[in-house]
Amino acid sequence: YTESHEWVRIDGDTATIGVTDYAQNALGDVVYVEVPEANTEVEAEDVVGIVESVKSTSDIYSPLSGTIIEGNANVVANTKLVNKSPEADGWLFKIKFSDKEQLDALLDATKYKQLIEDGH
Amino acid sequence: MAIASIRNFGQILSRVQSHPTTYRAFSAATTGISDCTLSRTAEQLSQLPTIGYVYLGEVPYRKALEMQNQLCRRRIDEIYALPQADRADLNLRQFSDALILLQHPPVYTNGRRNHGKLQPDEIERLHALDCDYVETNRGGEITFHGPGQLVGYPNLYLKDHFLATKCFVKGLEYTIAETCAHFGIEAKTIPGFPGVWTSPTQKVAALGTHVQRYVTSHGFALNCTTDMKWFREIIPCGLEGKTAISLQTLMEQHGKPNCDTSVDAVLPVLRQSFAKVFGCNVKPLEDVSPATFKFIQELVKL
Repeated sequence: YTESHEWVRIDGDTATIGVTDYAQNALGDVVYVEVPEANTEVEAEDVVGIVESVKSTSDIYSPLSGTIIEGNANVVANTKLVNKSPEADGWLFKIKFSDKEQLDALLDATKYKQLIEDGH
Repeated sequence: MAIASIRNFGQILSRVQSHPTTYRAFSAATTGISDCTLSRTAEQLSQLPTIGYVYLGEVPYRKALEMQNQLCRRRIDEIYALPQADRADLNLRQFSDALILLQHPPVYTNGRRNHGKLQPDEIERLHALDCDYVETNRGGEITFHGPGQLVGYPNLYLKDHFLATKCFVKGLEYTIAETCAHFGIEAKTIPGFPGVWTSPTQKVAALGTHVQRYVTSHGFALNCTTDMKWFREIIPCGLEGKTAISLQTLMEQHGKPNCDTSVDAVLPVLRQSFAKVFGCNVKPLEDVSPATFKFIQELVKL
């Protein structure tokens, strides 16, 4: 998890990333999504996508450096997936990450839960 | 969440005509917003920072856009250079939140989701009206900005205010509704149709914001004495069958054509409404943060 309410699912050297249930609730109904294109090189903290709700666009940042494998086209076509299934079908992009050390900066489930409970 | 409506409009109008001061006291309670917390706890509400306001007069749109981009960049750099534990400490920062208020020369702007979607001949048609057309990264669709319209760009770091994006937007909508209520105009939010409406088809203010790392940019545009002819050239906000309206037209409709709804008259009302809705102090920016004030002034000067 990240402090900006993204979840990161690791599978070998691939990570799938989306926004958490907490984030989708804070955003409101999602009406527009942009996801990164395959084969794009990104650095951690680069803007890789956009989510729009209640006339507000929010930038989505990649927590990891690497190469984008795929952006979720389903979510672009059916934006409500982000609200209905933010941590499953509403995933935003997959990345082949290049720096394992960046994973250490992520929060585990317990720490993330603490973050939300503290009112962030 | 709909805003409580004024129950007996006729009663208010007669009060306005005979007792201007009692009207003011009455209207403060009408929208029922005084106890709106935007989902914050009492403890959080007691910790909110002071926001600095500045009115810049008329600024060309592209110049204001560049100023906002640089201001956001500067604020994000300052906040995120601090270790996570220190980010909430306002004493460690030079830059404050700013409520930037201004007007623009005539311009049509569009939101992120419509990038590249307007046909070239359509853009040419708008240019032929002696108007610029600018695509931005904000939410929302096409709208018009021009003289007589009070544009507000609240530049807030949402975490200082314990605000989720949707609560921030709600706060902007309520601020406008509260401002309208001061003039005896009932304005509502309509679920699914962001903006502030004075009837099911008439929008008095448009909304569109951008959030980057919890720092906000863009904002709202309230029609005070805007010439509505500009809105008839487009489908505002992409909504068929809906139109824009100004405070001036509304006052005329309600039989009060001499009521001053110029941007100058609305400015102090809007500032007060913003402070009330967001639950924080709103003071002159040059006092709250000389650094922020200077930064903005440098970027918008001619």
